[in-house]
Amino acid sequence: MPQLNPEFFVSQLFWLAVFFTFLFVFLWRVSLPRIATVLEKRQNKIDENLSSAKELQEQAMEIEKKINDQINKAKVETDEKIKETINALQEDVSSQLSSLDKDLEKKVSDAEKEILKSKDDQMKNINNEIANITKLTVGKITDIEMSDNEINKVIEIHKGSFN
Amino acid sequence: MAAKDSPLKQFEIDPISNIELGGYNISFTNSSFAMLITVLVITLFLTLTVNTRSIIPSRMQLISELMYNFIAQLLSDTVGDNGKRYFPFVFSLFMFVLIGNMVGMIPYQFTFTSHIIVTFALAAVVFIGVTILGFINHGIKFFTFFYIPGVPFYMHPLLIPIEVISYLSRPISLSVRLFANMLAGHTLLKVFAGFVVSMPFFTGVFPLAFIVALTGLEILIAFLQAYVFAILTCLYINDAYHLH
Repeated sequence: MPQLNPEFFVSQLFWLAVFFTFLFVFLWRVSLPRIATVLEKRQNKIDENLSSAKELQEQAMEIEKKINDQINKAKVETDEKIKETINALQEDVSSQLSSLDKDLEKKVSDAEKEILKSKDDQMKNINNEIANITKLTVGKITDIEMSDNEINKVIEIHKGSFN
Repeated sequence: MAAKDSPLKQFEIDPISNIELGGYNISFTNSSFAMLITVLVITLFLTLTVNTRSIIPSRMQLISELMYNFIAQLLSDTVGDNGKRYFPFVFSLFMFVLIGNMVGMIPYQFTFTSHIIVTFALAAVVFIGVTILGFINHGIKFFTFFYIPGVPFYMHPLLIPIEVISYLSRPISLSVRLFANMLAGHTLLKVFAGFVVSMPFFTGVFPLAFIVALTGLEILIAFLQAYVFAILTCLYINDAYHLH
């Protein structure tokens, strides 16, 4: 077996040491740092992109929050305005209603007064008529001349009975 | 020297140029040439493919990065954070064995990992390095590595020698595993290649088909053995940090 022939052992070991040492030093100092740089650069890039994506997401969330806030604010404002308008309208309506009520009351009371007045007038007329009729009747039946005062007194006494 | 048509002839070392240094024969051989090719392939590939340093990698750059991540993952899985500083060494070891095996799969190309002296030297570097590392980390306490806690006391006279022997045989098992796999695979390929020639008429097609299948298997083994070499190195480094 040529492997066990010690003739070239020293040569094998010598060149192995030379080439392996060269390979080791070259890879250690040149190749591997290069690959490591590339990998690191890529990782940094990925991290950077990830962090910027996160930032953008946060910004988007902030904007969304702002929009929601504004929508809510607008809602509250509109609600207030609607309430205000409703209140104003209600006040308007109630004031108009109350003024109408007052008018009506006034008219009713006026009418009542007029009715009372006309009733009084009528009563006065009736009283006068009664007094006249009584005077005439008494005058016709008897000869007694009754003064107006006397007749009125009597009528006053009996007023309750013909009301 | 094996016979001319022996399946072992492929493992013979032929000097390309004879060099002598201090009385030692350090000829540049076909084995050294295979190592040179291996080192060139690794360094050029890992340097040129990552030359642009692009964030979005080309396919070739991706291969380099995958290899990097493969070993980095392996090391962090087995050793943890302590393993980072051994990454260049484990990576070099893995690439050297892997590409050495792969270069050996090229027809007529020498496979230096099929030589026990080469694999043993690599394993010895790992073994000595790990042992020194163990003494640096734990001092004299590193000897408690051979003491298994939780075992009845009368078992220790038996277990401690076993542990010592298993520790000392680590470089042997590590190197023989790789060497034997490569030796057996390449010998088998050569034996079947001999059948292709020696069989009458067209029946040589069958061993040829077998060679094609075996070549696939050998490529798998080439990767697998490099992986095993790297992962065992990681485990030994881990042992130097964490005693029982």
